[in-house]
Order: sequence, then structure tokens, then C-alpha cells
Amino acid sequence: MDAFISLANGLTIAIQPMNLLFALVGVLLGTAVGVLPGIGPALTVALLLPITFKLDPGGSIIMFAGIYYGGMYGGSTTAILINTPGESASMATALEGNKMAKAGRGGPALATSAIGSFVAGTIATIGLTFLAPFLVELAIQFGPEDYFALMCVAFVTVSATFGDSPVRGLTSLFIGLALGLVGIDILTGQSRLAYGVPELFDGIEVTTLAVGLFAVGEALYVASRRHIHEEKLEPVRGSLWMTKQDWKRSWKPWLRGTALGFPIGALPAGGAEIPTFLSYSTEKKLTKHPEEFGHGAIEGVAGPEAANNASAAGTLVPLLTLGLPTSATAAMMLAGFQQYGLNPGPLLFAERPDLVWGLIASLFIANAMLLVLNLPLVGLWVRLLAIPQPWLYAGILVFATMGTIAANPSPVELMMLSAFGVLGFLMRRFDYPIAPVVVGLILGPIAESQLRRALSISLGDPMVLVQSPFSAILLLIALVALILPFFLKGMGRFKAAED
Amino acid sequence: MIHTRKSLWRGAIAVAAVAGFVTSAAAQMELKIMAPAAPGGGWDQTARSMQQALTQSGIAKSAQVVNVPGAGGSVGIAQFVNSGKGDGNQLMVMGYVMVGALLTNKSPVTLDQTTPIARLTAEYEALVVPADSPIKNAKDLAAAVKADPAKVTWAGGSAGGVDHIAAALFAKEVGADPTKINYIPFSGGGEALAAILGGKVTVGISGYGEFESQIKAGKLRLIGLTSATKLPNIDGQSLKDQGINLEIANWRAVVAPPGITAEQKKALVDAMDKLNKSKEWTEILKAKGWDDAYLSGDAFAKFLAEDQVRTKEVLMSVGLVKS
Amino acid sequence: MTRRIDVAGLVIAFILLAIAGAIWWDMSSLSISSVYGVGPKAMPMIVAVGLAILALGNAVMAFRGELPARDSLDWKPIVLILGGLAALIALIRFGGGFIFATSILFAATSTAFGRRAIITDLVIGFVIGVVVYLLFSKLLTLSLPVGPLERLI
Repeated sequence: MDAFISLANGLTIAIQPMNLLFALVGVLLGTAVGVLPGIGPALTVALLLPITFKLDPGGSIIMFAGIYYGGMYGGSTTAILINTPGESASMATALEGNKMAKAGRGGPALATSAIGSFVAGTIATIGLTFLAPFLVELAIQFGPEDYFALMCVAFVTVSATFGDSPVRGLTSLFIGLALGLVGIDILTGQSRLAYGVPELFDGIEVTTLAVGLFAVGEALYVASRRHIHEEKLEPVRGSLWMTKQDWKRSWKPWLRGTALGFPIGALPAGGAEIPTFLSYSTEKKLTKHPEEFGHGAIEGVAGPEAANNASAAGTLVPLLTLGLPTSATAAMMLAGFQQYGLNPGPLLFAERPDLVWGLIASLFIANAMLLVLNLPLVGLWVRLLAIPQPWLYAGILVFATMGTIAANPSPVELMMLSAFGVLGFLMRRFDYPIAPVVVGLILGPIAESQLRRALSISLGDPMVLVQSPFSAILLLIALVALILPFFLKGMGRFKAAED
Repeated sequence: MIHTRKSLWRGAIAVAAVAGFVTSAAAQMELKIMAPAAPGGGWDQTARSMQQALTQSGIAKSAQVVNVPGAGGSVGIAQFVNSGKGDGNQLMVMGYVMVGALLTNKSPVTLDQTTPIARLTAEYEALVVPADSPIKNAKDLAAAVKADPAKVTWAGGSAGGVDHIAAALFAKEVGADPTKINYIPFSGGGEALAAILGGKVTVGISGYGEFESQIKAGKLRLIGLTSATKLPNIDGQSLKDQGINLEIANWRAVVAPPGITAEQKKALVDAMDKLNKSKEWTEILKAKGWDDAYLSGDAFAKFLAEDQVRTKEVLMSVGLVKS
Repeated sequence: MTRRIDVAGLVIAFILLAIAGAIWWDMSSLSISSVYGVGPKAMPMIVAVGLAILALGNAVMAFRGELPARDSLDWKPIVLILGGLAALIALIRFGGGFIFATSILFAATSTAFGRRAIITDLVIGFVIGVVVYLLFSKLLTLSLPVGPLERLI
């Protein structure tokens, strides 16, 4: 029970008035900057690093914790309200969340995302407190072949975003995979499909693609149909708050999202996007209201949001226990630690327990603060949708381009944003699903590089893919998920024939 | 999530500098320092440390850091050479990694188009194995690589980068075929480190700083450093001391745009000379664990030219660059 | 209702095939392979073949006229919005600055959505631009593209 005592000590550090203030400033800054597409928590921490240099280590690290959680939260607000995911991990939230907002259910969507983030963040932070040393031992055993198997599971579940035509869904996915090829091949250093444009060497930005397809594409589409179909937005239809029914439909997805997000986030190459997709498709499979998916199902917001925040806490597991920065934000926090001559790693818990536990305790506090700050704001946020349509969409476009300009003021990047906007418009017009493109861009390169790493280590022996227990189990899950629907369909037909 | 991670890193940031003390004529200098990488990495940290030291010591009136990330600096240098021409108040941080990246990316812009100013720091490469590895020292590793280079897997940074070059040179030096090394590039430091700690690869190679806390915690064993001799603050032998003739440093330097006048160049070199002697800079070097590798003006220009030729030869001999 | 060949669907199929071709062509020019395991060509091959097959699938759908019904299209707003984006890119590329660029994009989009008060909207966009610029440069110390106007602030 050492952890309890240490945590209590940490809490006494974190609730010192100055540290509470740092946490509050961090949460506010994180949320404010996190709503900008393209500017995630990592960049925010990077921007504030020189400023916090003057603070004491404890204070500045506590502020980072606030920025981190605040940034994760801010991204989903814009995803829900204006279909502009602030970061790639908020994309799954945009799928159902924006549909809800358009149907006048923005209030419950924002609420379930805020409460879900709180629940997931709290559970995951508890997990971080008590399971970190154990979890990290497992996490580093996760090799390239296991990541590849995890990608296979993710690929199988993508079909949840396909809509009704497999051909069109696969077409979207392959467009995403093709986009994922662009850039320098990490294993050999050669550029593919970049045609000598230096801006393409690092590949296509997920946020540029997502914002282009979602926000710009939608603006074009709605504008092109105004003459026949006037879109009417009602900010609030029914209750502004979550109804009893909403609560009932949300709590399980929160827990399932947490269960997916935390362990995958703790994996050194796990990330936040994959658990959100997995959560989305899990909820779509398990829901009692499948007909609502694609039209604003609350489970589709609750699950991915929880997964997103749980993975943020998961990322801190390898950072604090091993000093492994496994996300850009974690890398920035590492730089923040090093600024004070601290090296996160196996020794940090022993050398500076005050800092580590102060940080963990402030994660709890930051989480609670976010909930307290954001719930009252829900009513205000949804009123944004009452802005007259011309100004709303003009604002969305300004906002979408602003994020890109601030993150990378290159004309090439803006041209890509516009081109993806046109692509998004055409795909909407011809009824191709949008999400698989982004999924393809994210999963394709990871699946490829991890498979090639695994096969390089095994000298080309494909048996390596099934020899590790993790990968064997994951591949089995993928296989079952792939075959089961057909099997069930067959059974259904069989039964129908019998009747 | 390596591929998307960098998306978060992208950014063009300029931090308004704290106005420094005006102490001399050179203090009127208003510098713009480009870090051709995302915030947080080595070049960015170098640029921001320079900013801090230059303004605090009053060598420059202000210094602004601009990040232009992409492709090992290829995007940054193109912009720097094109838009900075003749501007005596601009500097770009660069390093050994850029030399290799420009070659592997077949960049149309080369370092010959810039005006070399000064080399500032260097970091040596460290070779590490998991604590329970049968490999105890560099000689064991040499024997294993010589016996079958395919069976020794290396984890390090991007293909063609300094880690990769060092691994290839190691193989060459111990009499194995450098084109046959089994080098696995990882894009983030954390991912490579996890693979080494998890025993997924035989040996890890990267800057010493990446491994320091793991070595001190006894999770990794340091089997060799690419410095000329033992370093005073690191407990471990150099490869040279173990009979393997490999010396390589990941240096960082600053260059100015093309077409600046001799006076402008002199002013910048002088400023760097002063920076190097300043108390603020010395403190930063100590805090960050960077080795002082100061070399300025013509001596640095000569070094840069030689290193470019040498790197190209190495990259060609290991098959990373053709012609 | 008789099913007719959907020309737009055929164009889509053709574009997919062209992308597959481009990927294949680019792949064949890769000169360095991995020493062990799978090289950099495998994934492009898979994607190219997949896209070619999907091009076929899309073409079949087009021949059968199975594409979903489409409404008539108003091109004017699309041209306006894309024009706004193009103006934004040009202004940023040639040093017009962030504020003017934002102002024009705002007005263009708002016009595309049916407003006819260009001057008012330009002013609104301008104000948004100034506020955002100040927020970014003064508060976050983040450099947005600078033009003549931004230099004055």
C-alpha cells in the first residue's frame, strides 16, 4: 500500500494553492489551444516550455499535466460542434458527435464526452498509480509482430465505418492507404510518391487530411446544395443535458473505452487513435440502437472519448517508469523534465517521489477541473450552432485554415487542405464514406513498418507472426471478427430456410 | 502512432525573445534562428538554448526561433537558402544528420550553398545491449557481427542517419560486409528504446543521452562509445580503446544564408565566439550534457566540406545512396 | 425506371485506375531494397493492385447504374469558397499576411452561403483576423504569416 501513502503525499503537494493555480492555468491553456485543429497538446507544451522555465520543477510539471488533459479535451469540442477534429484522436468522436449536434443533441454529446473523459481519465490515472510497473513490463514485451497483429484487428474493425456498400467502403480505405504511402519510407529512407516535393517527405498530416475531408469538404457540400436543401440547425432539441436514457447508454461505453484506451496507450507504439477506432466499432457492434449509428448515436461519442483520454494517461506509464516518450506530448514533457536536470526513468520514482506523485495527483485534479469547467460551458458551446449559417461556415473555414497556418504556414500544406476539401466534397456527393480514408492513412504506414521490422528481425521467416502469444491471440481475434459476421449470416439464412 | 505523432510536432513557432542587455555595438544584432525541425528535438533545443544564452549575455539584442520541420532538415534548408539570401541576421541550426539526410533525400539544395559559421556541440553514439545479453563488450559484438551480420539486429534512428552510419561503419571496421547489417530504423526514440529493453533486438545505437537513465538503472549495458577515448563523465570505454577503430560524433552547428558580405560573416562568427565563451552557454552545455565541440569560421568550413565527402562515401559503401 | 450507365461513376473508376498506375510506376523506380525481410515495394504493390480491383468494382457499379441518386449541383458557391481558399494561399505565399487572407476567406465563404453584404463580412473577417493574430502572437508567441498590416501591430 505504499502507493496510497505516496499518492496522499502527492495530493498534499498538488493542492497547494500555487500548484492548483498552475493546474488551472494549464487546463485553460490546454483547452484553448486544443480546440485549434492541427495544434495539439504537444505543440502547446512546446510553446510554453520557455515560459515555464522560470517556474520550479513541480509547478511546471503540474502545469504540463493540465495542458495535456486540457488539450485532449479541447479537440473533441470542435469535433462535435463543427465537425473539425482538433487532433486525429478526436476523429472517431466527430463521426457520431457532429451528427448529434446537428440533430440538436449537441448538449448531451458534449456532456457525455466531458463526463466520459473524466471517468476514463480518473480510472486510467488510478491504473497509472497502481499498475504502472507491472504494465510496463508487459508493454515492452510487445514487439513489432504484435503491433502488426494489433493493426490487423484494427483493420478488420474498420468496416464498422463503411456504410452500406463494401466496394465503396474499401475504395475509401484504399485511397487512405495510397495517401499513407506518400513520403519517406522509414525502413530504407527512400521517398515514395513525393515527386520531389520536400513538404511531402514526411508524409501527409493526419490532421490536414481529417480537417480537409470533414470540415472543408462539408462546407463545400452544404454550400452546393443550398438551393435545394436549406440546412436548418437547431442548437437544442429536447434536453440540453443528458437524459436518463443517455446515461444508461453511456456508462458501459465509457468503461469499455477506458479498458481499450489505457493499455493500448501504455504500449510504446500504441497511440491514441487506434483505441478510439476500436472503441467506435465495438460500440457499433454492441449497441441496441444500430440504426442510430451514422445519425448520431451517443455510444459512438461516449466510447471513443473515454478511450482517447484513457490512452493519454496510458502514455504516461512508459514515460514515468522507463523514461520512454511514446507520444509527441510525452516527448515534450520529457524535455520539460530534462530542463530541470531530471531524467524520467527507472530511477525517477526513487529519486524524486515528490515530483512523480505530485504529477500523478495533479492529473486527478486536472481531470476534475476539466469537468467542473466544461459542464457549465456546454450550454454556451451549443449556442455557437445558432450563429447564422453563412457566418458559421465562414467561421469554420477560417478556423480550419488557421489551425493549419499556425501549425505549418506552408502554402503546400494549405493546398493539400483545399485538395482534401474537394476530395471530401466529391466523396460526399458520390456517397463514399469519409472515415475509412483517415483510418487508412493512420493504420497503413504503421502496419507496413511494423510488419517489415518483424520480418527483418526474423530474417524473412513469416512464422514470427504467430509465435508470440500476443500476436497469436490478436490475429485470432482478427480472424474471428472477420469470419463471424459471415457465419452468423449463414446461420440466419439456415434458420430462415428451416422456418 | 509514430506516423501521426509527428503531425503534432509540426509547427512554426517563434518565441519572442526576452530583450537582452545592450552592452556593445554587436548587441544591436537582432537574430533569427531557424531550427529546421519540430519543437522538442535536438536542433530545436540547440536553437532555443542559443536564444537564451545570446539574449541573456547581451551578445544579441533579440533572437527569434523559427521552426521549419520536415525531412531531416531538407524543407528548412530550402527555405533558408531561398528566402534568407544576403541576410546577415539569420542563422540555421544544422548537424551531421542533415548532411546524410540531404544526400539520401536527393535534395536540390546543398550545404555548399550556405555560409558555414560555427560548430557548437557534439554528442557521441553509444552502443547498448539489454542487461541480460550474452554480449559483454564491443569485442563480443564484433565477433557476433563478423560471424553472421544478419543475426545481429540493430535498433536505431532513421535510415541513413548517424545511428545507421555508425552501425555500418562498425561492421566495416570489424571485417563484416556493411551492406549486410540488419539495421531496424525506428522513428521515435521511445520506440527504439522499448525494442531494446524488450530484447527484441540485439543491440541499440543512439546518442548517449537517450540511454543514460536506463544504463544508470542497470537495465541496459553500455558496451562502447564512439568517442576517441574514455569520456570523463561517462562510465564506459570507447570503441577505440577496445581496438575498434570507429570514431563518429553527432555534431551540431550553425550556418548563415548564402551571399552575405565578409563583414556580416565576421560579425556572426564573432558573436558565436562570444557565445561559446559566455557563462550562460557553458551552463547550458553542462545542464544538457552536451560536449563542447567549438570550431568556427574557415576551420569549420573545411571540416564541413570534408565531412560531406566522407559521409557520401560511407552512405554509398553501405548501399544507402546510389551514385 | 431503366438503369443507365453512370458516366461520372466511370470517371471515378478511371481515376482510381490511374492512381493505381501512378503508384505502380512510382514503386518500380525504387532502387534500394531492404536487406532482410520485405522491401519498400510490397505495400505499394498491394495498394496498387487493390485500387485496380476496386476500379473494376466501381466500373461495374457504374455500368449497372447502381450509384446513389445525386441532386443537382450549384457550382457558384463551390467556386466562391475555393476562390477564397486560393486567395488565402496566394496572400500567404506572397506575403499579404494572415489578417487580409482570413478576411477574404471569411467574406467569400459567407457570400457562398447566400449573404450579400460583402463589405460587412470583410470587416467581420478582418476583426476576427486581428483578434486571432493578437491572441496568437502576443499570448502564445506563435508566429502567423506576417504581411504589411501585421508589421504595424
